[in-house]
Order: sequence, then C-alpha cells, then structure tokens
Amino acid sequence: MGKTSKDKRDIYYRLAKEEGWRARSAFKLLQINEEYNIFDGVLRAVDLCAAPGSWSQVLTKKLRENSDNKDVKIVAVDLQAMAPLPGVIQIQGDITKVSTANEIIKEFAGLKADLVVCDGAPDVTGLHDIDEYVQSQLLLAALNITTHVLKTNGVFVAKIFRGKDVTLLYSQLRQFFEFVTVSKPRSSRNSSIEAFVICQNYQPPEGFVPTMVNPLLDHKYCDFNQFTGPNRYIVPFNACGDLSAYDSDTSYSLLLEGQNSYEYKNPVQAPINPPYKEVLEKQKSDNK
Amino acid sequence: MSLLIRTDVTAVKLYHKYILAGIGSSVYIYSKDNYRLLTNIICLNGQKIYGLVPYKISNKILVFGGKQYSILSLEYSNDKDDLKIVRTVEPRVCIDWLHSVAWITDESIAILTAHNTVQVWDVCKNSLISQHSSNENSILYSGLLLSLQDGILVLSGTVFSEIIIHTTALEKPLHYLKGHRGVIFSISVNLEQGIIVTTSDDRSVRIWGMYLRTSSSSMAVDTVNYWRSISIKCKHELYGHAARVMRSCITNRTIISVGEDSAICYWNYVGKLMKKVMSHQNGCIWSIDADESHVATGGGDGAVIIHPLTKAFYNGHNESFNFNVTPKKIAFTARKNLVILDDNDNLVHFNINDNTQTTFKLKHESTYKLFSISSCKQLVAVGDKNGRLNVFAENCKDVANLTNVIDSKLDLGNILSMHWAGNRHLVFCGEKGVITVISSQNNDVETSAVFVLPSCKERWLTSAAMDPTNRCIVVGDRCGNVHVYFIGIKNPYKSFSKVHGRYGPTSITIKDHDFITTGRDGTIKYFFINKDNKSLTKFMNNKDLEFQWVEKFIDKDENLVCGFQERTFIIYDIKNHNRLLEVICGGGHRSWDVVRYVDGAGNDYKEYIKLVYIKNTDIHSRLFQMSKISSQNITNSSHSKEINCLKTFKSEVDPLVTFYVTGGEDTTLRISTINANLEFQDEVVYKHLSNVRTLKLTEFRNGILVTSAGGRAQICLRLINIIRKDNHLKVLSEEMVDFMTKGTDKQRKNNQTWRNSTVDFDPETRIMDLDVIKPDDDKIVIFAGCSDSYLRIFVFIEETFALIEELKHHQTCILRTVCVKFSERDILITCTTIGEVALWDVSLKFGREIAPFFSTRTNKSGINSIDTRVLSDTELLVATGGDDNAVILSLIEVPSFNDTHVKYSICMDKYHCSQITGVLFVKEFLLTTSIDQRVTLLRWSVDDHGISCEFLTQLFSDIADVQGLNVIDTNMDSITVCVYGNGMELLRVPLPDPH
Repeated sequence: MGKTSKDKRDIYYRLAKEEGWRARSAFKLLQINEEYNIFDGVLRAVDLCAAPGSWSQVLTKKLRENSDNKDVKIVAVDLQAMAPLPGVIQIQGDITKVSTANEIIKEFAGLKADLVVCDGAPDVTGLHDIDEYVQSQLLLAALNITTHVLKTNGVFVAKIFRGKDVTLLYSQLRQFFEFVTVSKPRSSRNSSIEAFVICQNYQPPEGFVPTMVNPLLDHKYCDFNQFTGPNRYIVPFNACGDLSAYDSDTSYSLLLEGQNSYEYKNPVQAPINPPYKEVLEKQKSDNK
Repeated sequence: MSLLIRTDVTAVKLYHKYILAGIGSSVYIYSKDNYRLLTNIICLNGQKIYGLVPYKISNKILVFGGKQYSILSLEYSNDKDDLKIVRTVEPRVCIDWLHSVAWITDESIAILTAHNTVQVWDVCKNSLISQHSSNENSILYSGLLLSLQDGILVLSGTVFSEIIIHTTALEKPLHYLKGHRGVIFSISVNLEQGIIVTTSDDRSVRIWGMYLRTSSSSMAVDTVNYWRSISIKCKHELYGHAARVMRSCITNRTIISVGEDSAICYWNYVGKLMKKVMSHQNGCIWSIDADESHVATGGGDGAVIIHPLTKAFYNGHNESFNFNVTPKKIAFTARKNLVILDDNDNLVHFNINDNTQTTFKLKHESTYKLFSISSCKQLVAVGDKNGRLNVFAENCKDVANLTNVIDSKLDLGNILSMHWAGNRHLVFCGEKGVITVISSQNNDVETSAVFVLPSCKERWLTSAAMDPTNRCIVVGDRCGNVHVYFIGIKNPYKSFSKVHGRYGPTSITIKDHDFITTGRDGTIKYFFINKDNKSLTKFMNNKDLEFQWVEKFIDKDENLVCGFQERTFIIYDIKNHNRLLEVICGGGHRSWDVVRYVDGAGNDYKEYIKLVYIKNTDIHSRLFQMSKISSQNITNSSHSKEINCLKTFKSEVDPLVTFYVTGGEDTTLRISTINANLEFQDEVVYKHLSNVRTLKLTEFRNGILVTSAGGRAQICLRLINIIRKDNHLKVLSEEMVDFMTKGTDKQRKNNQTWRNSTVDFDPETRIMDLDVIKPDDDKIVIFAGCSDSYLRIFVFIEETFALIEELKHHQTCILRTVCVKFSERDILITCTTIGEVALWDVSLKFGREIAPFFSTRTNKSGINSIDTRVLSDTELLVATGGDDNAVILSLIEVPSFNDTHVKYSICMDKYHCSQITGVLFVKEFLLTTSIDQRVTLLRWSVDDHGISCEFLTQLFSDIADVQGLNVIDTNMDSITVCVYGNGMELLRVPLPDPH
C-alpha cells in the first residue's frame, strides 16, 4: 500500500496527524462538544481507557479555555501504558478495581469529577455479538467506576456499539442519568457500528451505594423493553458536528480545497507494545 | 420464521454417526456417512450457538451461546436412519455471557460466565444449586469447566493474557499460567495426555504440561487433589498462524489449531508443525472438533468441512527411480507406465507393474528435442528441430509395451514447437509462424492443414487443441495470444490478444462450442466459438485462482485443475473452492506429469492421484489415495466476509431454483443457487479488485445483465444466461465491461517507477451505489453515486462503455442512488451521508447542465436505504432509513418540477435501535431492517390527513451486520424475505389476517 493511501482513504486520519492529535477520535469528542457543550464549566475530568490519549489531548486543550487558573485537573486511566501528556495525570490501572476509583478521587483532592469520558473499545473478534457484549461490559465497567467518581448532575460520555442488544444498555444508563441520547459525530464513519451515548444529569437511583464487588450486569428483556416488538427502549438520536465539516465517508483529494501543497506526515504516536509485537520480531529475525 | 440460514459456523461437534453444527441459533445435523443434512432445530432465542456439549452417558446435548442454554435429546438407532430430535429444555437466560458449560450429573450442569462466576443448576427444576464467584472477575475471553470427581475445575482465560486455574472447592486459585501476550481465545485440556493447550491473540499456540510434585503417581487425574499436587509449565510455544488463533482441539496423535488466517495447523506432541492446510476461503475458522478419524471445522464462509485425520500424517506413497540415464522429459502413458526421454537420444518405456524397461534409440540429428503426449496418453511423439519425428504407441491390452509406429522426417525447416491437438493431430510451428498440422497415414504422416501464426515477438506455440469435428483448431502462442483457425483457411478466424501474459497459454480444452484456456497468470479463461458468426466467437469470462501457474484440467468436467505455486504442486477443486492436494516438488519448470484414476475391486473403489517429476536426475513418484487427504464440504462455502448487496432472479429453465447474485467485502461477486430442498451452492465466482458494494440486474438481450461496482471505482457488466446441461443448471456468463472510472493503476501512475513517482492527489474513489435504466433495447444508462460526492453517468451502447457525465452537486459521499419511473419520466434520487435527498430528472438528453430539481433533508444522518412508491402522476412516496435509526416516509408532490415540495412526512424512530439498512415497499406493507437484526413489518396508508403507518410485527434475524433485505416471494399470508449481511437468512414474515 502506498504511503499516502491511508491519508486518501480517511480525511480525519490525515487531519489528526496534521493537527497533532494522537488519533482521529479526537475529532469525535470535539464534535460531540459542539452539539452538547459537555465541557461547559468542567474543571475536573476523567478519561477512561485513555490510550493512546487523543481524548485527553482534547480535554487539556478545551478545559484550559474554561479557566485561566490552575484548577483544571484531568486524570487519564488505562490498563496499557500511554505516552506522557503534559497536564494530564496518568493512572495505569484497571477500571474494575475500587483502588483505581480511590486514586482518581485522591487526585481530585476528595472532590468528584464533573465529566467522565470513555472511548474504550476491545479488539474486535469479528463475531458481532461477542464484540457487542465485550464493549457493553467495558461501558458498564466504566459506568460502575463513574458512579464512584462522578458528581451529581455530572456528565458521562462513552462509546457504544449499536448492536442487537443495545436497548439493554440504554435502559441501564437511564437508571443513572436523567437524559440519555445517542449520537454519531460526522467524524465517525457511517459504516461503523460505533456511536456515543451522552448521559447528562447524573442522578443515581435512591439508595444506590457504589460498589465494585459485583460488576454491573446488563438488564434483561422485559415488558417495557421487549426483545422484538413495538415496546423497545430506544433513546433519541442526534447527529453531531457541523454539516459543513469534513465527512468521514467522503473521499477527498490530497489537495484539499484552498490548499496548494500536500506534505505527508507521520502518525503522532505509534502503538506501544501490541500483542503481535513478539511474533513480528520473530518473523523479522527468521527472515534474516 | 427462519427457513434457511447461512452465516458463521460457530460450533461443530462430531457425535457418533452425526455431525452437528451451530449456525446462527439453529443446530444442523448431518449424517457422517453420506454428509447429507438430516434435520435442523432452533435451539436458542436470537443467539448464536457457541458450544455443543454432549453428556457422556446419555443422548443429551447441552447447547449454549451468549447468555442462553438449552438441552437437546437425540434418539437414534445404530442401524437405521431414523433420527428423532427434541428440545427437552427450552432456552434459559443466565445472568451473564457463558464461556463454558459442563455436565455434572444427568440432571445438573455447571456454567462459567464471562465474569468468572460458576453456577451449578438443576436443569429439571431450573433451580440454582450453588454459586462460586472468583475475585478475579475482570472480563474473560474464554474459559473451560471440567467436572472432577470431587468438584469443578475452572480454567479462565483473562484479558490480561493469563490463564487462571481454580476449583470451586477452594478459595484461592491453584495456578496462573503466564506467557501469552494477548487475550486468550481458547483453552483445551486432555487429561490422558496430561496437557493443556491455549490459543491467543498473540498468534501463538501454547502446550502446557502437568507435572506431579509428589511421587505418589497413583492419584486420579480427575480429582481436586491431583490439580493441587501438580505444577504446570509451558512445554511448547508454537508459531504457525499468521493471525489470531481462535480454537484448538486435542486428539490422541495430534493437536490441531485453527485461526483467523483460515489455516488449520496440525502439531505433534513435541511441538512440530506436521501440516498446515488452508481452508474456508480465507475466512476465519471459528470452530473445530475431532474424533478418532475426522476433523470438522466451521468457518466465517458459512461452510462446515470435514477432513480426514490422516491428513496430518499421510504424505502418500513415495518412490524414486534411477535408470542410469539422465532423464530430460517424462510422462505417464494411458496405462500409468512411464515414458522417459533421456539426454542421449533414447526413449525409455518403463512398465510400472513388472519393473521392466524397453529402450528405443532415436537416431535424431539435433539435440533440441520436442516431446508431447496425446490427450488419450497412448501416443508419444518425439521430434527434433530438423524434422525427425518418431511416434510411439502403447498397446491397450496384454502386457504393456511401446511400439514405434511412425519414423519419419518432415520437411518443415527449423521446428520451434510441437503439440498434440487431441489424439490424431500433431501441430508443428516452424519459422515465420508457419503452423503445420499433420495426421498419420498408415505408417507415415500427411499434412492435413497449414496455417499462419500472426507475427509476434516469440512466434511459436505453447498449446493447441482440435475440436471433435476436426474442423476447428485453437492454438496459443508464446506471447499469450490465442487464435482460432478453421481447416482450409490460413489466417486466424478470430484472434484474442494477450490472453495469458508472457508465458502463453499452458493448455486449451475444447468442449462443444466452448473452449477453455489456462495460463501462468493465475487464470482460467472461457471462450465461446460460433462457426457461422465471427463476432459471436468471443471471450466470455475469467476465473482467478489463488496460484500463479495454472497448467491443465485433470477431470472430464473441467473442475479439477492442477498447477504450481512456486515450489508446490497443487490440485484445486473449482466448485468447492478447495485445494485437494499440495506437494512440494520443486516447481513446474522441471518435467513432470500427473494422472488421476480410480482403482479397486468389488464395491471398494478408491480415487488416486499420482505425480511424477524429475529432480536431480532421479525420477520421483508420489501416489496419493485421495480419501486420506480430501476434505469434504458438509455445507458449501460462500462469501468469507459481509455480503454488501444481493439480488435474486429465477430462470424459466427451472422455476424451483432461485439464483442469488451477491457482492461482498471479500471482493467477490457470486452467483449461487438455492434449490427446492434449500441446498445452497456457489455456481460462479468473479473477482473485483476491491469490495463489491452494489449490484443491479437488468433484462438485456435475452439474458440478465449484472452491473456491479464498488471499491477502486471499478464497475463491471456481465451478461448471464442459464442453460440446462446434463441435467444440471449452468450459468453462462459473458464479461462485457470491466471499467476503472479513475483509470487503472498503470494509467494513474503514468509508467513512473517507484523511485521517481510523485504523489497522486486524486482521491481513491469508491462507487457506493448505482442504478440502471434501459431507455431502449440496446442501450444501458448507469447512474453511480461515488464516495468523492460525484454522481457519474455511464452509457453502454453498441459494445462501448463510456463515462458521459461527472456531476458535483453534493458536498459529501453519496450513499444511495435509485431510479424511478414517475409521470413518464426517469427520476433519479440520490441520498448522502448528511441525510440529503435530491431528485434529478434524467429522462432528458444529456449534454445540458443537469442539476437536481428538488432537494430536501429527511434524516439527521446518512441514508442507508431507500425505496419509492409512485402514488399518482404527481405524488411520489419515498421511504428513507438511516444511521439515525429512523425510517422517514415523505410524500413528495410534484405538480411541476419547479414547484416540488414535501406534502407530508412521518418519522418512525422507535422500531430499530441502530442504522436502518433496508426499507422495502411490498403492496400496502413496508418492511424495514437494521443492524440491530430485526425485521419490522408495517402497514402504510395515505389519505387527506397525511401518511400513517401501523406496526404489525417484528422478527429477529441471526444475521449480524445486516446490509439489506430483498423479497423472495409473496403470497396471501406471508412474505418471504432474504436478509443479508454477515451471511444470509431466508425469513418468512407472517401477514395479518385480512379480516
């Protein structure tokens, strides 16, 4: 494949490199904010499953605009190591552990977060139901730790796979938030199953005690959320991002409108320690 | 109701004389004796089956997948074919995703969930007996439960790349197996062999050994105490797969692993890769099971394949001969004896049965030798450059021997090539392209025809064939051209230039009016000869194979083809997409030959393939009994990735058969059949350069025109005809157009070398959708919506295809284009990724500026499906479904083009929870489908108050990633639809009672 093929195939991949974002997903959070203003007044934010760190980059940039003083605090949590980012406190830890929740609260000096975001996704297997299940478990784990760290009225934004059982997740989220909408930024491809849930006004059910002992298991189908039929729990959808913004499905010329030169840029941050690293090294040494 | 499903085969089980496969939510049961489908039964509710676990001492089978399980009971007798199958326990929903289940007793089972909780259930009473939750409750990717005498052993494969072993009897885990560098996809255990096998994301298979720490070796392996007393170490770390390794299976002699790279690897116990076989057409292999004799695999291509276990070890019967001569050429005779031409002017006949050899001295003047064997293999011709010719014949009865029947000198000047065309004619090519065809006359030869080969760089032949009426001859030259001659006419009747690249065709086969060529460019090409009309003598289509050097067919039906991939000899079954044989022999440049035959006595006939080749002056012979290595399709393979587009048609030739034309992410376009018994078969497979996103069928010239397009801006037109031949339906196809809208790679790169290449700014464009209209009988107009936001219009007329318009109206990618005949005009509708719908009048002549006469935004986001219904001369009902989960019905009123407006519209966003990929009007009904795998039936109506739409019913489909739906059949009480995406499913949607 040619060096420029990926740049041609995906405008946001290219723009991310040109604007210094570690991943194209940075644009998704920016566009979600355009629609929902999720950064308004936010001083403390948590980025779950943060690696490679593009959402943390967005948080740093946008939250600084909220406050001139040093009150802004961003905590990024991931199982994997992540290259350091100025202004972001990194915790390498498991989001299913209460110790991780405590570490976050410690970083906020006992205060709770205004905003929790999670762009985590598993390595997909190709079997859609397993992928959807694992993604939903990731989201529920993120929700579980969020119940420990998010302030009442806070906002939670997370990636979701709109697969066959997504209504179970919607009804689960609705128990904790007054407003749950699902949204797809223009930078997310039409062909992709991913979307984002924007959960506003955190209001845990009365008597709810956050706990990490039992994972939150998703709901079962019931009368108001049937497996098939007219009564399914479907939340409102919103597209976000300006209509005139670049469209991730459109093929653009390498010379964009208004440009008269193009220069290839390397990715901002290469993957750290992927599972196939060993086998690639082995293949390299075998070929020598 | 599901009539048929073809999707990922996520579970297989060899069970007594049956093969069980979990396809979608159904279990399909096949006979292991004749591979026939016996029955199928829906086991789970809208959930794929991931495991089939029989109980050792009864006929019950536990079926599980997702959060559900159910129990089947199989009743059968060993001598009769009556199988009775009952679902004794209805699907039960558990607290969480299940990774493993195990029988504890006849009435109780244990389940392992994805959060490492083990529950024991009484299946009769449906009551929980006990529960054990591990502290290590981060999500598992795999797990295995083993029922021990005194407890349950749990092996959990975590997301942290380790395997935790614990028992429900003890709080603390017993062992942590560390070493993998990715998530664990599967765990297998064999207690007799004392090994654990794990497979992972990191491409490796690991074999772990169990070692008793104490000396008391009398401990039973299925006790908690045993597992407490052992240490477990990684014995072997095995790399053989090129992608993630999904499953493994342990037999008494071998460990078999399967992966995403569609490889089946057979390992022995010391970790040596004994054999690696590619299967399932590059699709992922999801499931595997083995017994003492067979291995069954299920894949992402929808196939269940059974492989003989001997495949792992059997390397055929090998022999090598040395005749004290230096062999140059070798061939099998009709009686499977060998003829060998040496470097010393001798021809040796070697009788395989009695090991005797006869040598013929050839008195040739030149050492440049030409050697060819007739298609019946009874006649061997040896010639030299100067025209000396000897023809030898092998007798067909008594003791085999060879007779020199012709010894002659031809006066043809320097001879450059000699080939048999059939069994009677030898085709010589001399200098200046003079082709001379000779045939035998008593003990001499006579010239039966002379032709002239058109001028080319290397002007001689590489293959020749004579038609059965001896009127027509087809030859291939060294520059890759193919020429058709008629006896009596010197010049070609028809020539096809550059058919097979620079090595020339390797073989030509003439069949009735067709001829087929093979070449060293990895292709088979099909042609049609019309003896009366030259323009009807034409190239029909192309078949791409997965190996470069395609040599010849070795069966009478032109289905088994042999050739080479570098050093490996290959026999490939075209219809079943299956490599029958692979032998590493050094490559096709050395002299070699192959025969396929059936041998045996009584009822016991076996198929053999014998290969012979020269290596280091030795002659090597390899004999294979095919039943020891050939795999059998239990269900046929098809697309290995998503189906993006699907259309169907029926032929008058057999109205019970439905033809499915499908295009997919795997870059293939296929025509498949489903017959009255719901048996599926790919009939023909064509390749695109990139994914196939859209296709349309149009009636054209007494056939069906298939227009397909997709990635790399490629668009292809093929004309299809169905005929009946020998009681089989045959798809005839003619490739009419293969067009790269943006030019071929060569054109785009402008012949630059990689060193001085400049950046090409032009975007890589995909054709997202197209529609076709036929303004008159021989004219086709194609409207293509492209990813670079252009609408492109193509015209096909009088065999020429041209791009006539490129229109930039939209700002973003066009997702759908559809044409509708409305008030005697052709209206084109385009839909984009931002929810725009634009209407164009395309019935006028092109040439003036074309722009939409009306544009609106119906959906909040991309529109993935559209259908229209003309209500009157001024009213058009449009249904759009999109990424915003909404189906919008818009009534567009067109009193005049300048005054078009949306009169009414309604939005339905409560029936699907994800992208809507299919909307379809059927009479007063509207069918919709979505990635959420539901199919909804609605009833629409329009009156003075607006549009109304009433929910009628909703069905679930097991097809993931649904890309659309099509109506197959409608009648009074139901509509049969085909839902496609990750596979395809035929669903019968019940209609409400009209009363």
